[in-house]
Amino acid sequence: MSKYFLQNKSMFILSLVLQIVFIFHSGAFAAASTDPMEQLQQSVDEILQILQSEELKKPDRKDDREERILQIVTKMFDFREMARSSLGQSWNTLKPQEQDEFVGLFTSLVEQRYIGKIDSYTDQKVIYTKKLVKGSKAMIYTAIVDKDLEIPIIYRLQENDGKWLIYDLKIENVSLIVNYRRDFDSIIRKEQFAGLVEKITKQLEKTETTN
Amino acid sequence: MVFHSFHPKNSFASLAGIICLFLLITTNLTWAAAETGPVQISPAAQSAEAAETVSDRSEDDAWEEESWEDEWEAPESIADPLEPLNRLFFHFNDKLYFWVLKPVATVYSGFFPEELQIAFRNFFDNLRTPARAVNSLLQGNVRDSSEEVARFVLNSTAGIFGLGDFARDILGLRSSYEDFGQTLAFYGAGGGFYINWPFLGPSNFRDSLGMLGDAYLHPIILLDADWGVIIGAWTFERVNYTALTLGDYELFTETALDPYAAVKDAYQQYRNGLIENR
Repeated sequence: MSKYFLQNKSMFILSLVLQIVFIFHSGAFAAASTDPMEQLQQSVDEILQILQSEELKKPDRKDDREERILQIVTKMFDFREMARSSLGQSWNTLKPQEQDEFVGLFTSLVEQRYIGKIDSYTDQKVIYTKKLVKGSKAMIYTAIVDKDLEIPIIYRLQENDGKWLIYDLKIENVSLIVNYRRDFDSIIRKEQFAGLVEKITKQLEKTETTN
Repeated sequence: MVFHSFHPKNSFASLAGIICLFLLITTNLTWAAAETGPVQISPAAQSAEAAETVSDRSEDDAWEEESWEDEWEAPESIADPLEPLNRLFFHFNDKLYFWVLKPVATVYSGFFPEELQIAFRNFFDNLRTPARAVNSLLQGNVRDSSEEVARFVLNSTAGIFGLGDFARDILGLRSSYEDFGQTLAFYGAGGGFYINWPFLGPSNFRDSLGMLGDAYLHPIILLDADWGVIIGAWTFERVNYTALTLGDYELFTETALDPYAAVKDAYQQYRNGLIENR
């Protein structure tokens, strides 16, 4: 009996030690990882964890849940680079202060579109299919399985101090940056940059009141 | 985003018209075909097929190389001489979505569980397989074409009228989603100007011809069904599809500044992606 107990106890301690080692190891490993696919997968997994959390699904935790997702998303994307390339040549004509203001507006606009979609998440799976790395740039091919259909998503990432940041993504071949560039162009041609800022501001206010 | 095709009724005159146009494009632009490699439709070319897959792979690499350099540069903006009319129809389709399609699809969702909606989607998708098989063949891809044939036969039987995607789930046979618009592009045809059809949505000159061409290979047309049946089936497919994608349309258009321009570009990018991805 006591022998059995001892065996059991040592097993328990062993598993505890293993667990601790495993946790620390994976933590340390994750921090040191410079692989773009691993980094992306880690962030996506974090988001999925939040989305799957029953606790956070409660209506009164809605803001908390969104806040947590936004925190991760902010770390994943290079919003300044995205804002710059979505504006195209107009970017260079802006004063630094205007640029900063535009980055903020653009970030909210993108979040509105993609966080809106994320909120309808139920049990979609993410598949990682291919990784292409060239110097400080990478393309990660993924697919999200939604209602029995695979929707291909390709991420473009750029490395900065060992951290890979997304600067564009293609969903079903439609690039976010190219699409926004066309959209913005259509406004700028008629109403200049001031008109664009006004339109985005109004757009953001509109959805805030409906929420 | 899936863009639906429509099914006009049998009319030999327009079919002949399409074939003439097709011949015109192919004869004028044979250089384009020569550039993209030899077209093999002969089933006897078994040994050559192995060689083709190798060259296909290097083409893939070349394409990837290109997309690195391009930085996904925006393609030439699509010509839009009909913009005022297109915008009118865009507005019409938008209202159609919010006032009719969405409420109907919402009620429909309450009656049919998601599994059934997916089965119905598979059913309609399966009906487009004959056209895909022909288009793969027209693009010289014997392997994809025979896979589409296998998919159609298996899914129509073991998949019970195409309600289940047996070929994909059990055998891993996936559709290559080729259509006549892509075939025309393969032979060098450009998209032409943008057309936003009422009811049918975004398209361009080439893909509109493509829709018409594919329609002739749709079983419902081949079986010479009544107009009422055709429109009924099309409407049902549309409602079912809307039920499966509720929220997507409004999320996209409501977070765009000029929804018309955003949809137009998304259509162009989506189609270009399908054309490049042979």
